[in-house]
Amino acid sequence: MPVRKGKIIPAQIIPEVGSQMVNVDGKDYMVANDAMYTFYQRSLGEFTPYFLAIRDEKRILGCKCTKCGLVRVPPFLTHCPDCDFAPTQLIEVGQIGVMNSTPPITYFATPLFADMAPFGRGRLVPDGADTAMSINIFTTTGILVPGIVKKGTEMKIVFRDDRIGVASDIFCVPASELTAEQVAKKGLQESEINWEGATEPTLPAASQEQVEAAKKVADKIAGVIDQMNRNKRAKADIAGWKRDIQVRTTGGEFAILINDGDIRVSQQKLSSPDFVMVLHDANVLLAGLSYRGALTDSVIGGKIWLSKNGEFTTIFKLDRMARSLAKSGKTAS
Amino acid sequence: MARRVGIVGAAVTPFKAKWYEKTYYELAQQATREAVKDAGISINDVDGVFYGIYNDIFERACIPEHPLQGLIGMQNKFGIRISNGGATGAYTMSAAHAYVAAGRFKVALVLGVEKATDCFDFQSMSATPEVIKTIGWSGDSFFEQSIGWTAADSYAEVVLAYKDEHPNDLKPEVTAQISSLLSQQVKTNPYAQRQFDQVTPEEVMNSRMVAWPFKELEICVYSEGAAAVIVAEEETAKAISRNTGQPVVWITGVGESNEHSFAGKNQKVMSRIMSDYYSSHRAYEMAGIEDPAKAIEIVELHDAFVHQLEISCAEFGLVPLGRGDALIEDGLMTPGGRYVVNPCGGLIYSGHAVGASNIMSAWSARNELINRGLKTALVHGTGSTVAQYGACLVFEHD
Repeated sequence: MPVRKGKIIPAQIIPEVGSQMVNVDGKDYMVANDAMYTFYQRSLGEFTPYFLAIRDEKRILGCKCTKCGLVRVPPFLTHCPDCDFAPTQLIEVGQIGVMNSTPPITYFATPLFADMAPFGRGRLVPDGADTAMSINIFTTTGILVPGIVKKGTEMKIVFRDDRIGVASDIFCVPASELTAEQVAKKGLQESEINWEGATEPTLPAASQEQVEAAKKVADKIAGVIDQMNRNKRAKADIAGWKRDIQVRTTGGEFAILINDGDIRVSQQKLSSPDFVMVLHDANVLLAGLSYRGALTDSVIGGKIWLSKNGEFTTIFKLDRMARSLAKSGKTAS
Repeated sequence: MARRVGIVGAAVTPFKAKWYEKTYYELAQQATREAVKDAGISINDVDGVFYGIYNDIFERACIPEHPLQGLIGMQNKFGIRISNGGATGAYTMSAAHAYVAAGRFKVALVLGVEKATDCFDFQSMSATPEVIKTIGWSGDSFFEQSIGWTAADSYAEVVLAYKDEHPNDLKPEVTAQISSLLSQQVKTNPYAQRQFDQVTPEEVMNSRMVAWPFKELEICVYSEGAAAVIVAEEETAKAISRNTGQPVVWITGVGESNEHSFAGKNQKVMSRIMSDYYSSHRAYEMAGIEDPAKAIEIVELHDAFVHQLEISCAEFGLVPLGRGDALIEDGLMTPGGRYVVNPCGGLIYSGHAVGASNIMSAWSARNELINRGLKTALVHGTGSTVAQYGACLVFEHD
């Protein structure tokens, strides 16, 4: 799980000064690279004790109304709006809790979170609190998929090793994935958990029949990709994008090379691919590229393994190309 | 006593994935030009302007409306901007209605404009991730922005909580059918971003997951465009109507509601969209509607997500809570059904030019009431985190 470090604005997302011309209906229009940026030394005011407790003491604070007794977490306010603004008091809440409702999972993330996707974000009601706090959700078992965390699932709050006093200093994982000692421990840190590594799955040895079948599917994949490479709309989907992908399937392997609007299949074995895609059945890739089932969903469903989670972005682009090709087919017909 | 207020003119620009040819200045003026032309009046006859612009960052300027005042010929007159998340357009109409009903103005312009996809992500070399990031600045800045809050995942929270309570509703087959149906309806909207993007339910089912449980073809698309509506008090509206020959569509009900943005005991009820419930029922009360399921004929609702469309219809009282799927399974919104839902194609197929979207919906509802000879429509906007903001208007055609 990546955690943001370094510059406030990551260098790789900053464009160069410049402009381009775009032709629309035979007329040229200018498009300028630009940005709005404002830096802050932002006051955290009444939230200071909350963030300090997380950063320095690995504790979670809430606030309790002195009149109605409602415990809100995070401690959003110093006076309760439901009790004619009676004062609240800071109290510590537990580091185990339950999900207030089933949390969503983000697969298509913004540029700031693309390296973290897929991730969950939901509402956890910690022991001793009445309200729910917004918090990231991860699993120790690989990619987060629907069904792992639901309404009422017991979760454990985990502290990042490097904490700077922000909401992302903590996240939670299902308590059922931890040992009893880890669940009981106050201030459990991410480095104390056994995160399953990105181990490339081993494919079974293929029979001659499987090799021949895989070859046929690979030829079909090459055919679809060739169509994509002759389709203006699909080529636009990978404008400015460059990736060398090694694809391993039961029965054979090949490479998909994406280079700024150009996509090709190559039989070469790449020495340093950007990422590796492993699938038992090459038909899954063929179906995805043919717009008969999203590749994204195949990754989520475990039918395709990626060596880098962050390459969901490339998978999205391949899905988009499949849709572009399908749309063009409809338009043509 | 409040004065009666009616719509006497309306116009939209084409909604497009990207307007390379026009800035938001020109889009705003184009919608204004067409709206006053539709009303058969001069811009000099308009007393005040209400701008619906959601997001400063999209327009790349704080107070982005200030250049528009002179560009649309409204210099030295009243101008105010409304910004209420996705519900900006509906709230802007609500504000204009209030000023005209109160007697401050005889004629007002409601003008929504947004240029979302100028935002661009230079890593993926596409606009959408940057648009989503930009909207991500709308989340709670202390506790949610740094953990990846997005509009999609916040609405997904509501949908999944609803599913916790009603596991047999919002079936994937039904949400796919609704999306497919909307893609058919959009064919008659020449201003829509996806007028010719018809999809089958199977294609919707096969589209990629963006944020569980939302698939790509179940989500509104971000657009660039503008929409404008001219509203007038009763006597002026009738005079304009006599001049143009177009009937007045009256705004007979208006309602709004903003919920808690936090969850848990005494906070937001995550499985409900109470903002939709309160805003619609307040609008019904003002319009004197006792049974919306009988009175409402056209619904132009803000379908940010298909699942939310179903929940919103339940909150409006058009189907029971937990039976959103009745919209399809009981044929309530299929051709010839009880309701005409998003005849413009909704925001999923027309496009979502945020500040302009609900005003585009109003433009469509007015057209549909007049052209179909129907009496009552509901226009709706939803926005902010976890569907926190809601605004509804009831339109009636004599």
